[in-house]
Amino acid sequence: MTQSVSFKSSGQRLLMDKLARYGVSAGGVLVLIALLLIFFYLLWVVAPVFYGASVKHKQSIPLVDNHATVMIGVEEQNEIAYRFNMGGELRFFDLTEEQRFFPAHQLPIRVTAADRTVPSRGMAAYADSFGRVYVMAPKFKVTYPNDQRLITPTVEYPFGEEGVMVDPEGKGIRQLAFEAGEGEMAVAVITTDGRALLTRLEGEVNMFTDEVEWSSDNAVIPGLPAFVDQMLITPDLRRLFVRSGNRLSTYDISSIGRIRLMSVDSINYQDANVTDVALLTGASSLIVANDNGKITQWFEVAKDGKRQFTQIREFDAESSVNEIAVEYFRKGFAVATDDGYMELFHTTGGSRLLKEKVDEGNTYTLAFSPRANGLIAQTGNSLEFYKVSNEHPEVTWSALWQKVWYEGYPEPQFVWQSTSASDEFEPKLSLVPISFGTVKAAFYAMLFAVPIALAGAVYTAYFMSAPLRKIVKPTVEIMEALPTVILGFLAGLWLAPLIEDNLPGVIATMILLPTGFIAAAYGWSKMPKAIRQSVPEGWDVMLLIPVVLFLGWFSFAISPTLELWMFGGDARLFITNELGISFDQRNSLVVGLAMGFAVIPTIYSIAEDAVFSVPKHLSNGSLALGATPWQTLTKVVLLTASPGIFSAVMMGLGRAVGETMIVLMATGNTPVMDWSIFQGMRTLSANIAVEMPESEVGSSHYRVLFLAAFVLFVFTFVFNTVAEFVRQRLREKYSSL
Amino acid sequence: MITLNTDNNRETVLDLANLSAEQTALEVKNLDLYYGSKQALFDVSMKVPKGQVTAFIGPSGCGKSTLLRCINRMNDLVDICRIDGEIQLHGQNIYDKSVDVAALRRNVGMVFQRPNPFPKSIYENVVYGLRLQGIKDRRVLDEAVERSLRGAALWDEVKDRLHENAFGLSGGQQQRLVIARAIAIEPEVLLLDEPTSALDPISTLTIEELINDLKSRYTVVIVTHNMQQAARVSDQTAFMYMGNLIEYADTNTLFTTPSEKQTEDYITGRYG
Repeated sequence: MTQSVSFKSSGQRLLMDKLARYGVSAGGVLVLIALLLIFFYLLWVVAPVFYGASVKHKQSIPLVDNHATVMIGVEEQNEIAYRFNMGGELRFFDLTEEQRFFPAHQLPIRVTAADRTVPSRGMAAYADSFGRVYVMAPKFKVTYPNDQRLITPTVEYPFGEEGVMVDPEGKGIRQLAFEAGEGEMAVAVITTDGRALLTRLEGEVNMFTDEVEWSSDNAVIPGLPAFVDQMLITPDLRRLFVRSGNRLSTYDISSIGRIRLMSVDSINYQDANVTDVALLTGASSLIVANDNGKITQWFEVAKDGKRQFTQIREFDAESSVNEIAVEYFRKGFAVATDDGYMELFHTTGGSRLLKEKVDEGNTYTLAFSPRANGLIAQTGNSLEFYKVSNEHPEVTWSALWQKVWYEGYPEPQFVWQSTSASDEFEPKLSLVPISFGTVKAAFYAMLFAVPIALAGAVYTAYFMSAPLRKIVKPTVEIMEALPTVILGFLAGLWLAPLIEDNLPGVIATMILLPTGFIAAAYGWSKMPKAIRQSVPEGWDVMLLIPVVLFLGWFSFAISPTLELWMFGGDARLFITNELGISFDQRNSLVVGLAMGFAVIPTIYSIAEDAVFSVPKHLSNGSLALGATPWQTLTKVVLLTASPGIFSAVMMGLGRAVGETMIVLMATGNTPVMDWSIFQGMRTLSANIAVEMPESEVGSSHYRVLFLAAFVLFVFTFVFNTVAEFVRQRLREKYSSL
Repeated sequence: MITLNTDNNRETVLDLANLSAEQTALEVKNLDLYYGSKQALFDVSMKVPKGQVTAFIGPSGCGKSTLLRCINRMNDLVDICRIDGEIQLHGQNIYDKSVDVAALRRNVGMVFQRPNPFPKSIYENVVYGLRLQGIKDRRVLDEAVERSLRGAALWDEVKDRLHENAFGLSGGQQQRLVIARAIAIEPEVLLLDEPTSALDPISTLTIEELINDLKSRYTVVIVTHNMQQAARVSDQTAFMYMGNLIEYADTNTLFTTPSEKQTEDYITGRYG
């Protein structure tokens, strides 16, 4: 009898098999691709932060007059440049292709001295030989004829065309320092007969006529050095700096009636001479250039109860610096060096960003455009305009991860403070405090969660009776489904005040509960057998419920008594005043409890599975060798379950690190660096959640937030990789058959 | 037909019903066992002689393993298991409330069907029971390891890799390791629950030879599915069926001239 046997599988089965295989592979590959895309998207957004600066020459404009330059500048769209010269002339130059010609504006005076404001104020002041000062400012009108932007330059005289009398005696003015704000200005002058005078002009709008009424005050500046190289007035019109050679005198001019010499400091670099001093934007820092190429940053630092001018950091321009130009809003500056280079620096970033040869001979003056995306340089006989690409000078590796000495701080610190009300604010984008906050929050959460979750998991898997386990395990697992926003909300609004009010009770609970458990268990084991056997094995844990309730109630009941007895009536005051620890209501304790609560189900569930799935024949083998259940647990079961338990803890840690809502709502979100349990923190995730909506797309802040996300990604990636590696090793070692 | 390969140099046949106290290793008295409401053992009584190999045979589900697990109270681990009757070791009922189960199990060792070495080194597996008893002296442990591994006929194979993971061993070696682990604590009785059912024929042979060596020092009780094995290794054989002890006699007698019809049917392969 022959039988035809077909070894062909049916077409449909083959197809299903193939489909399943490709479907599963495609799913896996897509997951990988999605992960990689996230990774690369983050990198793509972050990368520009680390790009260096570059400049590109755009235009060269020949200069026709032989006067020295008072001020050069560019309007905001980089279309029109302007130059004030010592002849009292303001001239505009078209930087676009159109090469429009603009008429010059000439002051009808003979100029004896001139000065300019900080770039963001954009004014120049001229003095004549009769004790008057004239202020001119370029103004740019933007119109849109035919839907095309048209910028028309004009001149403005913010303090009147007739000038302001600054020397009541009407003498000629030899030297001039000028600064102006909205409706006010300050002028320091040295007259030809050697008097130093300060004039302050304030305008007030008359309510009836709508005209500005000016009132001016004069005072003599006492003790001015014989030779003055440079005078600078801060934009807030409160300080006057007078440089005489390498010495800098600081005057307090905030009250015209009480001009006071505050200090005289030597500001030169060792064995070098100062060539220029400039006020950094925001005017709390001075940038001092030296003839050996060293550039130093100085600001006032509170030391021994006094504010002292202190050298903060130095830069190296490599050759003597002619002039310093500061940016409008950021803490960056550019210098023109003797040998024809222009160099870009940033103080927060602490680095030189660029060194570029200027095309035509020596450079005398530099100026940034308002958005710092253009730079105009004056050489011997031309203006050279450059496009600048320098988006994120303040973000450098050292500014992100090392201590930075920020303006006004007493010492270098790690600070995260990304925004402020002021335009001239120095962003403090150190990732250290928020990374620290992440670690701290995770640490306290794990401190609370790991012992409870693991002990619970081991008990449930190993000792608890099967019917009870069937109730307990799903109950704990359902806790995981609790939205964290609810946990955070409860933690912030209910738990935090509760803990604050009952601090001794909370601490008592933490001590009494574990000790009470052990005492209760010991007491139970000493009970007569008859009573013990009345409770079925594995159900005895139920007896702890009244113990928990009683101890919880008891702890809180004795809380006021404890507070009175140990902490003099107010635990919070005691901690703050006696122990000198600052106390936030939303602190690490609250976060530890709330986030611990969120993490417990994760750890519990995985660890319980791990312990429960230890093969029975292993524990039986141990028991058969005369081991007690406890010995079997510690010597065989936990060892075998260790890869799973380790995974559980790492999963919990990963969750704690990435958790956002709870830390966002239950901490004060203050990026402090302090391990104290009574202080809050700000975590990477909460920081992103808080600040991302308010950050300008493409700004340094925005990119650094993405960097924070990237760091978070790397955190979890590293944790998971290490966890997986250790787990594999453990599994190799302890896996059972 | 089954060819019996019985051992020729057996000692004189014991009178199993009337063993003296010195000859008895343990005595089962009127043992009933219930899993919940289902009775699994019915009034089992028997005396296991000292220094001999006793085999329990019978078809699947006859209660032979259950009976074996009663001897070191492994059935305690089954929640729904209830026991009436006594098992006496040294004239003391091991089900008495004063008995420490862990101490009992130190005296009654057990080897399971599947090799179950712990996920530790060979050395640590062997000394596990000793460490439980708090023995830390390195010399004592080393000696015990060598003695036990030699006793389990494994020493020569593993002496150079004592500190390697026990999972590196073959199944047969693992089972001998488990035997070494059991005899390391010097029990009086060694229970073997189908020790070769998961092993290949050559490993089985090695274990069987080992069982023969073991009886000089321990009382061995073995549960087996394999009648030839019972015939090869045991001195006494108990045949169980449906939770009842049908016949208990010296191996030769039981296999050659069984007194019960059920026994004869089983050993001649009518069922099982």
